[in-house]
Order: sequence, then structure tokens, then C-alpha cells
Amino acid sequence: MRSSEYINKDEVAIIGGGPAGMQTALVLSARGFSVRIYEQKEQLGGHLKGWHHLFPHGVAASDLLGALKEQVLARAIPLHLGQTVDHLQKVGEGWELWQGETVVGRAGVVVLANGFALFDARRKEEYGYGLYPSVLTSADLEAVFRKERPWPFGPDCAAPQIGFVHCVGSRDLKCGSPHCSKLCCVTAVKQAMAVKAFFPEAQVYCFYMDLRMHGLEYEELYRKAQVDYGVRFIRGRLSEAAPGQGKRLHVKAEDTLQGRPLHLQLDMLVLMSGMVPTFVLEQQERAVFFKEPVFGSGFVPVQGFLAAGSVVQQKGLFASGACKGPATLPEVFADAAAVACEVEQYLKSLKAVAHA
Amino acid sequence: MPKPDFGFSFAPNRALELSVPLLPEVQAVLEAEPSIRACMACGQCAAVCTAGVFTPLAFYRLVLQLWAGEVEVVGQRAQHCMLCGKCQMTCPRGVNIRNALLLMAALLPPKP
Ligand SMILES: Cc1cc2nc3c(=O)[nH]c(=O)nc-3n(C[C@H](O)[C@H](O)[C@H](O)COP(=O)(O)OP(=O)(O)OC[C@H]3O[C@@H](n4cnc5c(N)ncnc54)[C@H](O)[C@@H]3O)c2cc1C
Ligand code: SF4
Ligand code: SF4
Ligand code: SF4
Repeated sequence: MRSSEYINKDEVAIIGGGPAGMQTALVLSARGFSVRIYEQKEQLGGHLKGWHHLFPHGVAASDLLGALKEQVLARAIPLHLGQTVDHLQKVGEGWELWQGETVVGRAGVVVLANGFALFDARRKEEYGYGLYPSVLTSADLEAVFRKERPWPFGPDCAAPQIGFVHCVGSRDLKCGSPHCSKLCCVTAVKQAMAVKAFFPEAQVYCFYMDLRMHGLEYEELYRKAQVDYGVRFIRGRLSEAAPGQGKRLHVKAEDTLQGRPLHLQLDMLVLMSGMVPTFVLEQQERAVFFKEPVFGSGFVPVQGFLAAGSVVQQKGLFASGACKGPATLPEVFADAAAVACEVEQYLKSLKAVAHA
Repeated sequence: MPKPDFGFSFAPNRALELSVPLLPEVQAVLEAEPSIRACMACGQCAAVCTAGVFTPLAFYRLVLQLWAGEVEVVGQRAQHCMLCGKCQMTCPRGVNIRNALLLMAALLPPKP
């Protein structure tokens, strides 16, 4: 029988080496705790490593990621790369981390920082993602900016017509995602401006339902896109994309402010895919399994109002970053620091009990 | 005798008067199909509607006009619906559009 001695109660295991995982680890390490990061990929960085530049100021994603990684290295935080934790087993007050049939780690506290997944745009069949090469997701467009894939139209096309569709797989009960992904509006604005910077002659349209410019300086960015970049915002939904003239796409939409249907020929259509959970927790009495999400699955459920990092019904299990729901990087960093504080409080409360 | 021209004319007041209660027939439609309240006027229903290309039918506009008490216009425009159900398949808010349109169409008095 394994006793609870077998686990170092003060050790914190972080699942996910994205921005949330790295920042939570950095704050805990700076406060003197021993932390480890378990990351399923061979590299740290999460989604950040696929982005080109960041809203609202256009900071290079690689600069931010480089700075984070440097700090993780400087603190000599142990990294377990290429390890996909698929369930946790409670042992005493602590946890064992499992990948398939093997234990990959043990810790007193586990912090989930497994992030989000991008909505699979193929599920909105009417937009033709995966069918027409000129239909991209917002993530694909970041890869184009990073020169990891080509523009979907030829160099002869100096004045491309480009459309962005907001809310793809968000705010949509038919997709099982009732939530707003919160940052795709400003991402569309950021990307629309970037496209105009590449192709000054381009005409860019954003098809939106509501424009959610909730963050610091997002509204200013939106105005800049209108005034300085000439991006046209059309309040309405696309019904479908189909092959058009030549290599172009033919899209149909409703302009809800005009109250009239509209038609448009495009060289590129960008779908602002929403953020969805990477896994759902199946909670058992002494174990937590990470399962494939199904239709309508929610993000990691946390409890409390001020203490928003501890996972419902599980002592010693916390969640940080976008695994709890859509979040921007500044929000992720603030949240990671708050979660680290909660973890510290929790560890101190255990010690107080032990000494009583 | 021609009317004197004073350089201006009177037009009916266009302002929406939200302080007056909803018409009873509007309330009846909303009660019979409460999902109408979930409409966010995104326009997806109209984007897919074939009838709307050639007629003034656009379901989200009928919802707005219903709230504004324009029952006659709503009743008339609802007549253009073919009840194909495409709109309902795509509505992101799960509005029961076909039933709503049947209720709206019934706002017109039956033809003698
Ligand atoms: C198109 C797009 C553009 C964006 N642009 C910006 C921007 O310009 N500015 C901005 O502030 N924000 C932006 N964001 C948001 C930003 O990407 C997120 O805030 C951030 O990535 C969230 O960090 P995270 O660590 O919580 O999650 P993630 O980045 O998703 O990282 C999670 C990590 O956990 C790992 N993981 C998952 N499951 C397991 C497991 N079982 N075991 C081990 N490891 C696991 C993953 O491999 C990954 O490395 C954008 C988002 C999108 C979709
Ligand atoms: S942020 Fe904008 S595009 Fe994204 S889901 Fe919300 S409203 Fe839609
Ligand atoms: S698709 Fe649904 S939510 Fe959108 S305008 Fe039509 S009825 Fe309203
Ligand atoms: S059911 Fe009526 S409103 Fe809906 S798409 Fe068909 S014709 Fe248009």
C-alpha cells in the first residue's frame, strides 16, 4: 500500500506548458515552491507559438514566447515534454499523474493549464472549410503571416477581396457552443489590418453579429481599422460560400442594417473559429479522467467568486488560463498569478493543520 | 385652388413609443412562441431564405416589427414564407421560426 509519504506534498505539477502553465510555474517558483511542467508537445508555448503578432499593439508573438521560455530556463523549472497526462489518481492528500498505464509524476497539488482547442471549422459545412483552399481559419492566417503556408491567391492578384466571418462555432447552439469566444472580434480586426498592410489595394470586409471590443485599446484598434485601413464592417451573417468566377469564392450574406441580401466574390475567406475545451473532466471519488469533449461540453468548472482557480469538488486541484474559458494573454497572465496565490494559500493551510 | 406652400409639411411621427404596453395580439404571439425572445437579429435566417431574395420577407425584421407593434406589415410579409425550414436549421439561437411565422401570418384577418 502506497502511503501519502510517497508524495511530496509541497510539490506542484502543472499540466500544460502554454502561457498559463509557464506563468503559473514562474510565479510559484519565484515564491519558493517546487514546480514541474508536463507538456504533451515537444515544445513549450501552447497556441502562442503559432501566432505572428499580438493585439492590440502588434508585439511579435515570438518575442513574448522567447521571454517566457528564457525565464522558465533561468529558474531551472523541470520540464516533462512529450507527456500527455490523461488522468489523475488521488493518493492521500496528493495526486499521481498518469499517461496511459504509467505514472509520469506525483505532486501535492495539480494545476490544470491545458488551454483551449480551436473549433473544428469543417463542422460549419456551409462555409466550405477543408473543401475550398481559399477558406482559412484565423489560426491558418497566422501561419500565413508567419510564412509557414502560402497565401491562397496568386501573386498576380494585387487587389484581393477578402472576407472575415465572425462567430464561427461560437454563440451557436447548433454547434453546442453557446458562449462568445471573446477575442475573435479583436483578432479579426488585427488580422484585417495586417492583410491591408501586406496588400494595400485589398478590400477587406468583416461580417459580424456584434463587435465585442472589451479590452484596453481594442475599440481604438477598431476605429483605426475603419478610418486608416478602410476595412468595411458589415453587420450580417454569411449563408454559404461556393465556387465563384475563376478561382474566386462566391459568398451570400444578409446585410442586416440594409435589410437586404448581398452577394460578393472573394479571393480569401477567413473563419474566426471559436475557442472550445480541449478535454472534459470526468470526476470520480479518487480520480479525475480527461475525456474527449462531446457536443455541448463546457470548460473546466471552477468554484467561488474571489477564488476562481480551484476545480469544483476536488481538493488540491486548480485550473489556470484558457482551460476555464476564452481568455486573452493579459488575462491569462493575471489569472496565473491569482491561481498561484490560491495554491500558496492552500499549501499553507495544509501546513497549519499539520502543526496544530 | 392649390394648397398654399409654407415651405414645410407634416409627416406622421416615426418615433417608437416604448412606454405604451405591447398590443395584446403581439403578446399572444410571444406567449405562443416564447423562443422569439431569443432572437438577436443576427440575420442568419434571412441569409439562407430563398423567399427573401424576391420578397420583403426577412424573419429577423418581422421580429423587430412585431416588437414595434406593426402587426399588419408583419402579417403581410409572413405570407411570403414557404415554410421550407432552412432558417430554422441554421438559427444559432434555436428560434422556432416556422411556428413563429405561422403565428405571424395569422395576424392578418382571414380573406372574406
Ligand atoms: C486565432 C487566435 C489569435 C490570438 N491572438 C491573441 C493575441 O494577439 N493576443 C492575446 O492576448 N491573445 C491572443 N489569443 C489568445 C491566446 O492564444 C490565449 O490566451 C493563450 O494561448 C491561452 O494560454 P493557455 O496556456 O491557457 O492555453 P494554450 O495556449 O492552449 O496552452 C495549453 C498547453 O497545454 C498543453 N496540454 C493540453 N492538454 C494537455 C495534457 N493532457 N497533458 C499535457 N499537456 C497538455 C497543450 O499542448 C498546450 O501547450 C489568440 C487566440 C486565437 C484563437
Ligand atoms: S468575440 Fe466576436 S467573433 Fe468572437 S464569438 Fe464573440 S462576438 Fe463572435
Ligand atoms: S437566425 Fe435566429 S437569432 Fe438570428 S436573426 Fe434569425 S431568428 Fe434571430
Ligand atoms: S421557412 Fe420561410 S422564412 Fe424560413 S427560410 Fe424558408 S421561406 Fe424563408
